[in-house]
Amino acid sequence: MPNMEFQLGLALPTPNIIMGFDLNNHGLDHLKDIGGFSGKSKRSFEQAFGKFKQECKTKTLLLWSGQPNEEEDQKDQKKTTFSTIDENDAEEVDQVVGWPPIKTWRKKMFQQQHRVCRIENNRVAGKDNGRSIYVKVKMEGVAITRKVDLRLYHSYQTLTNSLITVFAKDKKCADDDYTRYILTYQDKEGDWLIAGDIPWQNFIRSVQRLKIVRNWS
Amino acid sequence: MQKKMAYSFPDEVLEHVFSFIQSDKDRNAVSAVCKSWYEIERWCRRKVFIGNCYAVSPTMVIKRFPEVRSIELKGKPHFADFNLVPDGWGGYVLPWIVEMAGAYPWLEEIRLKRMVVTDESLELIAKSFKNFKVLVLFSCEGFSTDGLAAIAAGCKNLRELDLRESEVDDMSGHWLTHFPETCTSLVSLNISCLGSDEVSFSALERLVGRCPNLRSLRLNRAVTIDKIANILRHAPQLVDFGTGNYATELRPDVLANLTGAFSSCKKLKSLSGFWDVVPAYLPALYSVCSRLTSLNLSYATIQSPEIIKLVSRCPSLQRLLVLDYIEDSGLEALASSCKDLQELRVFPSDPFGVEPNVSLTEQGLVAVSLGCPKLQSVLYFCRRMTNAALVTIAQNCPNFTRFRLCIIEPKTADYLTLEPLDIGFGAIVEHCKDLRRLSLSGLLTDRVFEYIGTYAKKLEMLSVAFAGNSDLGLHHVLSGCESLRKLEIRDCPFGDKALLANAAKLETMRSLWMSSCTVSFGACKLLGQTVPRLNVEVIDEIEPPGSRPESFPVDKLYIYRSVSGPRFDMPPFVWTMDEERKILHSEFRHLL
Repeated sequence: MPNMEFQLGLALPTPNIIMGFDLNNHGLDHLKDIGGFSGKSKRSFEQAFGKFKQECKTKTLLLWSGQPNEEEDQKDQKKTTFSTIDENDAEEVDQVVGWPPIKTWRKKMFQQQHRVCRIENNRVAGKDNGRSIYVKVKMEGVAITRKVDLRLYHSYQTLTNSLITVFAKDKKCADDDYTRYILTYQDKEGDWLIAGDIPWQNFIRSVQRLKIVRNWS
Repeated sequence: MQKKMAYSFPDEVLEHVFSFIQSDKDRNAVSAVCKSWYEIERWCRRKVFIGNCYAVSPTMVIKRFPEVRSIELKGKPHFADFNLVPDGWGGYVLPWIVEMAGAYPWLEEIRLKRMVVTDESLELIAKSFKNFKVLVLFSCEGFSTDGLAAIAAGCKNLRELDLRESEVDDMSGHWLTHFPETCTSLVSLNISCLGSDEVSFSALERLVGRCPNLRSLRLNRAVTIDKIANILRHAPQLVDFGTGNYATELRPDVLANLTGAFSSCKKLKSLSGFWDVVPAYLPALYSVCSRLTSLNLSYATIQSPEIIKLVSRCPSLQRLLVLDYIEDSGLEALASSCKDLQELRVFPSDPFGVEPNVSLTEQGLVAVSLGCPKLQSVLYFCRRMTNAALVTIAQNCPNFTRFRLCIIEPKTADYLTLEPLDIGFGAIVEHCKDLRRLSLSGLLTDRVFEYIGTYAKKLEMLSVAFAGNSDLGLHHVLSGCESLRKLEIRDCPFGDKALLANAAKLETMRSLWMSSCTVSFGACKLLGQTVPRLNVEVIDEIEPPGSRPESFPVDKLYIYRSVSGPRFDMPPFVWTMDEERKILHSEFRHLL
């Protein structure tokens, strides 16, 4: 390993996350694909890893019921609040100045797109002048959590098609697998429901986050 | 013998011959042949490019080239784009405009990059140059729409007004109404950087309608989708179009109207804009796709499937700017559809996010390098890389002229081998013999600089961050890179030794920027006082560098060659390493 003694004040520590995990563990194959985390994210990576391990064992029962373990979710909430704030607050103090090298006006655009007034659950609401509504989307078995702007879509069909196409590549599903997945969402009351029952406009106003789960019926 | 030669061709003949020589390099070579050629050439030079506005004074330029019609000036260091240069640093264009107003009444073109432009400067331009045609303000700031109104009203033959990426104080959208009804000469109008929620749309429409030669039009975010179709119908001859805001609910009539408008633009080859684009409106573009050579989707938050649908319809694409939503799968589709691709820029959609939000890795870039044999220019933001991938990319693309890789987390190692990425970047410089620009990232030791110094003989610009172990790294670059003009370094353990050992090299370069390195104040002073035509400026916003021990490292350092000595317009936090001038500096400050 190279000489690290020249770490300057603004430099971030070298990530060394992968060492801590047994990459030969079959179930972690796709997690291995994600590298390059900072020391700070180690915690969130670990707890995502922990959650995944649990999901692996209890997949069929937990997720099919459409109601993920509530206790687990609360723990998630406490832990992810910190990293969620990290993700979205571009004014975070210990960010390195001028890094990554993105022009100021582009940064302003990102800030506008990801602006958080208050973080409630996982919904990211802007100052709301009719612009973006970002919600988190997870697909079971895929470690990447994406964020999607609901304003880009005008119906359940277009949303579902786009999401499943994107996530399916991570899972490397065959095309006919698409029918095996359904879209669920968590509403303002915290309940997990199957998407599609209420009119689209009502849906985008109440959805907090999305999850794509396997349809076992 | 020489006298005979000089009289054998009348000046007019030589002038005529010289008029075919456009490039600055060639012109400079011509002027160095002999005294009479120098004289003739300087009277007929029409175009001047000044890469650093502080390298020479306006007086000197005017004295040597009295008949200039076109001038290009660059101001702040490149790292100003990333907030590393404090406000008020400098780069003011007004002194230039003031002097040129008197000396060049027939000036036609002004192109500025990273300069501070005031409304006063714009008003002076509008008043002073009767045949003014081209104003390009690239990444400039300091002016408002009032200044633009003056340009619109005063420049009767305006052909080009391009405000790309500038920061404009938006007083109102009404500046557009200041273009007189008699103005029909516009060829290019780029207002994409304007924030104004009210752009006087009717004025814009009328302006576009009466300029039959308009080829390039880039709108700003305030122009909504229903208005885009109207604009296009007024200008079906457009070659380059930047759309406005695409956000709206899907309405079939608007979609149909837009589709029709785009299909009537038979010459359209370049598209940009697409703020808040709703995927449902993308099919409106399909009729144009087969002819598209340039596509900028870097403001569009559409996901990979929609990007793929669009890109696979663009077989003529040469240039693509896109967010990392394209993902590896999208880049694979790009590689198989767009065989003419020359330039690719992939920007991060969530650069400050702790976890990756998209599946974009080194695989995507490898795929493009394999599938697109004409690829020359790359800017790629990603979160992981391997030496093996870089070696493959280098072998696939020996024609790279620009390669900029940004691995988002500083000092990220090869994620498979955990080694530094020295070998990977080494392969890039070894295989790509025409490489002119390189940006490094990831975990790098002095070794990568050894490779660069050994192989990168045509390299003109190098950007380095969080890399290297010792002065040896910097020494390799300064002693080995023969063509180096611009070097910018941040957060590297480079100190006095390499800099002082290669002081002479600095006079052959345009500029050197070093911030958060370990160069001492004493070394800066030594450089500034011993190398005559070098301006050594120390930037320190906290306290004067002289108030600390000489061995203390400076915060930021900007060194550039100049024939006009240290500048007079420095703010309090910039210190020039020339003791005599420092006294003059404070004497003149009251004049600013």
